[in-house]
Amino acid sequence: MKHLLILLALTSSLLGQQAPPALYVSKNAAITLYSDAPMEDIEGNSTDGKSVYNASTGELAFNVAIRSFKFQKSLMQEHFNENYMESDKYPQASFKGKITEKPDVTVNGSYPVTATGVLEAHGVKQQRTIKGKINVNNGKLTMTSEFMVKCADHKIEIPKLVFQKIAETLKITVTANYTAYNKNPTK
Amino acid sequence: MKKVCIALVLLLAGQTLRAQTDTSSADALMSSLTAEDKPEDVIASFKATRLIFSQTTETVKKHNLNFLVTHRFGDIAGSEGGGSTLFGLDNSSDIFIGFEYGLTDNLDLQFGRSKYEQLIEAGFKYAVLHQKADGSMPFSLALAGKMGLKPYSVNTDVFDDYTNRINYMAQAIIARKFSSKLSVLVSPTFVRNNLPFPFIDGNEKDYIAISAAARYKITKRFGLVVDYAHPFSSFRNNSTNPKFYDPLGVGIEVETGGHVFTLNFSNSKAISEMNFLSDTQSSWDKGQYRLGFTISRMFDLGPKHNKNKKQSNY
Repeated sequence: MKHLLILLALTSSLLGQQAPPALYVSKNAAITLYSDAPMEDIEGNSTDGKSVYNASTGELAFNVAIRSFKFQKSLMQEHFNENYMESDKYPQASFKGKITEKPDVTVNGSYPVTATGVLEAHGVKQQRTIKGKINVNNGKLTMTSEFMVKCADHKIEIPKLVFQKIAETLKITVTANYTAYNKNPTK
Repeated sequence: MKKVCIALVLLLAGQTLRAQTDTSSADALMSSLTAEDKPEDVIASFKATRLIFSQTTETVKKHNLNFLVTHRFGDIAGSEGGGSTLFGLDNSSDIFIGFEYGLTDNLDLQFGRSKYEQLIEAGFKYAVLHQKADGSMPFSLALAGKMGLKPYSVNTDVFDDYTNRINYMAQAIIARKFSSKLSVLVSPTFVRNNLPFPFIDGNEKDYIAISAAARYKITKRFGLVVDYAHPFSSFRNNSTNPKFYDPLGVGIEVETGGHVFTLNFSNSKAISEMNFLSDTQSSWDKGQYRLGFTISRMFDLGPKHNKNKKQSNY
């Protein structure tokens, strides 16, 4: 009986570790938004994006604090937060979905990928399919993507009073460097 | 045997629990990552560095220059108002032209000149505490200080001694943004006039005043503002000739990109604290209120990073 129990415990703990999810984590993904407006180009940068990628299931999650975007002009930054993104109400923008291709992350190379999922910004969720690229270099992953977001899709109003200072479509550029997530870090 | 069993069960339970919490799901990992974020400062408690009378806790950010034009027209009603002066629009009680430059994000220098007693003033505002989004700091605090000089004589001999022309103002501004719509501030203020105006026996050189003001946003760019001040000065509270009144202003605030417009009505004639706290002799009851406005225009004088040279309107 005793031996049986020990065996049971051993197998169960072994099973738990048998298929470790191939999790990759990025804590400082660079996200840029760019508006090519008639009056003035507006560019906001964040290097504070968080992302988790599960290489075995293709699951991909992105999250960025709206307040982490920095602009050249402090007034732009304030307007971005206060008037357009309402970052006190909607502090985060996120993407949650899956990468269809699931490239083999043990082989170095550059893989074009397609992520399908929900992009949430300004509290509005949009089903999106976004193209990108995954570069694998000795266990380190770099994911890059460039896509457009329509302000209207996320109910981001551009008032007439501001004389078309921002474009109706923003270009979003994402660069995330991932490292394998060690779930039981050795101390 | 029983003990071993329990120990094993516990061990197993612990294992499954840990598996659930610390790893496998990307969701849990994501929330643990985002939980590391520091609490953010509450921004834009007010649109501009001034409301109607009051300084707000907002400072001019680094390398920015705020250009202010503030105007107070004449009495709308009462003996000096009415149709003959187009309800005060023919007169100007005070005109203030000012500049505020941001040395750092938290410290700005201020300079301005009023029509009222030709007061020239220079000062600073320093943002000491910032309200935090998670409530760890429930309010913002800024300190403002100013020195004023009246370079031209008001009367033939009162300013014989040049130091008599100098005034000081020191203020602590405490503000809280209760919601994205409502912001409130309270400012205790110390005022010193080396030769107190009006030139009457018993007028104090030093006194304390308190201001209270609020903004309520109706839409993202349009809000109502109310501004009130009370000087704790026995001379001002008790004098009957002249009689003093507490300044009270109500108005609207409109933001359009780099501009903030305030359109208001107030009984106070003067714009600078050293003047309106010391010498508001007009009363709402007597029709001695006036139209006023402030135009605040923010310029960014920082180094240009824009690769494409488009004309900036910010």
